Amino acid sequence: MQVTRIAPGVVKVSPPKMSIFDRLYLPQVVKGMFVTIRHLLHNLTHYKNLPIISYPEVKRVYSERFRGRHILTTREDGTTRCVACYMCSTACPAECITIEAGEDERTREKFPVRYDIDLLRCVFCGYCVDACPEDAIYMTRDYEMAIDTRARAVVGLRDLVVPPNFPVEPMGWRPYYGSMEKTNWAGGTGGGQPRRSAPFEDDAPPNPDVYRGA
Amino acid sequence: MSTLTKFSAIPYTGPAPTNREPYVPANADAADARGGELAARFGAVQETRQDLPTLIVETGRLLETLRALKSETFTMPLECFGVDYPNREKRFDVVYQFYSLDKNERVRLKVRVAEDEPVPSGVGIFKGLDWFEREAFDMYGVRFDGHPNLRRILCHEAFQGHPLRKDYDAAQRWICTDKDVAKMIPTIDPRFENVDTDFERVTLNLGPSHPATHGTLRIVATLDGETIIGADQEIGYLHRCFEKMSETHTYQQVIPFTDRLNYMSAIINNVGYCMAVEKLLGIAAPPRAQHIRLILSEFMRIADHLVCIGTNLVDMGALTNFWYLFQPREEIYGLVESCCGARILPSYTRIGGLAVDAPPDFLANAQRLVNSIPKFIDDVEKLVDRNKIFHDRTVGVAPISAADAIDYGFTGPCLRACGVPYDVRKTNPYLGYETYDWDVPVAEGGDTFARYLVRMEEMRQSLRILQQAIDRGLPPGPVIVDDPYIALPPKSKVYNEMESLIYHFKLIMHGIQPPVGETYFQVEGGNGELGFYVVSDGTKNPYRVRSRPPCFAIYQAFGRMITGQTIPDAVAALGSLNIIAGELDR
Repeated sequence: MQVTRIAPGVVKVSPPKMSIFDRLYLPQVVKGMFVTIRHLLHNLTHYKNLPIISYPEVKRVYSERFRGRHILTTREDGTTRCVACYMCSTACPAECITIEAGEDERTREKFPVRYDIDLLRCVFCGYCVDACPEDAIYMTRDYEMAIDTRARAVVGLRDLVVPPNFPVEPMGWRPYYGSMEKTNWAGGTGGGQPRRSAPFEDDAPPNPDVYRGA
Repeated sequence: MSTLTKFSAIPYTGPAPTNREPYVPANADAADARGGELAARFGAVQETRQDLPTLIVETGRLLETLRALKSETFTMPLECFGVDYPNREKRFDVVYQFYSLDKNERVRLKVRVAEDEPVPSGVGIFKGLDWFEREAFDMYGVRFDGHPNLRRILCHEAFQGHPLRKDYDAAQRWICTDKDVAKMIPTIDPRFENVDTDFERVTLNLGPSHPATHGTLRIVATLDGETIIGADQEIGYLHRCFEKMSETHTYQQVIPFTDRLNYMSAIINNVGYCMAVEKLLGIAAPPRAQHIRLILSEFMRIADHLVCIGTNLVDMGALTNFWYLFQPREEIYGLVESCCGARILPSYTRIGGLAVDAPPDFLANAQRLVNSIPKFIDDVEKLVDRNKIFHDRTVGVAPISAADAIDYGFTGPCLRACGVPYDVRKTNPYLGYETYDWDVPVAEGGDTFARYLVRMEEMRQSLRILQQAIDRGLPPGPVIVDDPYIALPPKSKVYNEMESLIYHFKLIMHGIQPPVGETYFQVEGGNGELGFYVVSDGTKNPYRVRSRPPCFAIYQAFGRMITGQTIPDAVAALGSLNIIAGELDR
């Protein structure tokens, strides 16, 4: 294509002039083949950098901001950090969080008796994490949430609460950014990024219950 | 570094939102002066203190005013939609917006009508009002007298009531059975009415689930042999009540909904909506946030065009290009994911700025992408630019003249392919586009090939903008405004300070409360002018959010564009128009 300036800030794109050679169909098809063969040869010689991820054997590395499945964090003594203030369910645009509050008779502390997230309603926008004033709800990098019944999409306290020593490595969207000393921000498929192997190779169960704790 | 700099030790002393004065736009005086001039000429009443020259027209004088506007060079119909004020005697506002390409000027008309009062239809004057009037009828029940085809457009035929009326109970459900599916028989184009042929006339239904429609669109075409002699198109299969839901959610909660409008370039939607609300609030995002918004918007525009060209070529049998074009698209989404944690539905912006600062290696990754994208574009160009098969499939296919395109309200690459250099980034610059050195590409012919040429060049121009933006570097400073009535306090303060916790709590529970008023803000989306019209009544929920989807205006002309062509041409044309069902149906 030819680009010519016709006015300040405006360029005109004209179609390429077709020579008789171009009009003969085949020469251009052969020329196109050169492009694809160049790619083929390049891919054969650089097969380690193919922009392909052989899921599920190899998985894409997502950034530490990834908005995946939620977890509820716990204090050092093992109690849930959540104080059932309903901020997350108010901020949720999809109205997918259902909370019922209870009161600890001994400490007079409020805590959730029921905390359900309907993962089929959830839009994974991260507003619940932004709204939480207690550092209680985080999102993880877990995106494998396939289920076999609709009822299993509703995850409760039993599925969400993690133990106090829960590792930071699988964490996604949470209130601190930049505080972690991490350099492997994901930037797409290429660039020779490190790739995480499948969870079942290092003995973690490859199912949505992988973060079930407590 | 970024979010922690806001909330200085000095408590906020500005006015609380509920005490704010009604919204007065910054350019109110200029708009009033121009509005007064136009009102005097057209004999209409002027509404003052608006962001655009606004005229209130009586129904009896509407057609006359529309004709006068058209002769006043306001040739492009941008909008027609309703707003409901149930407590008023004349409860509906029908709002029109027109744009003058010659004067680079916008004007807004309002017609106030009671519930049973008809409005004369402007389809005879502006063809582009066709679907917009049908939508206003569907959503509000405003009748347009003289409209050739006034039936529901987004809701199905079995739907009862008009959903965007304030007294409509949104919890109702209406079941659509196969009996209620619109039986469409396209009208035969007059050119073909009296043609005697040997072929039997066949009506063919394409979609709504058809691989070539890239979404849920339905086209009904009447064929004479292989020639399409009449076509009609139906939409609404992906209607998700975006505008109704916006009225029941807070300003901040609407942002994830805007992601799903044009899901190919979601950040542009985020930016458009946030800037509309920021205009209403009278604030501007900090320079750093604006710079990141610009970079990501341009990447998103490239991603949008990559998908459009890639899928369009697949429809024509050129699969290799699809792989070449989808690789950079994946990388662009990777960059977006590194900023906000989601690839396609980012919800990255917030009103007043961004959710979080960009990662430290943002510019390095962006530079890597800017370096790598041109070679994919060049490869595709080598493959198809001089390919005779591609030329045969696209040159002269589904052409539209510049006058028709303007009359239909075309914007974006589809309008520029007709030779009209209209780009919101040039005519109404935002985010500092006026400070960058770039050109608007136009082409001649308005056919499928011209649209391909414009998109290819537009990606290169976007890369030019990106290279300049990366060279300038990110300005230092916060990424969100320092106003506790708009932005959430940083977590470190929420956990430790009473004051910040209260602001945090108030903002989550009571939301952002802009002053009473209405405003319109437009950005250049992947497909054209994407506008958001926001009406605030001073509460935490928007009174009305109207999104102007560029696809909507473009797709209404599709039936006419493909008449006289063949079915394979229709498939090629549909891909080149880049109709995104999520934006079309909202």
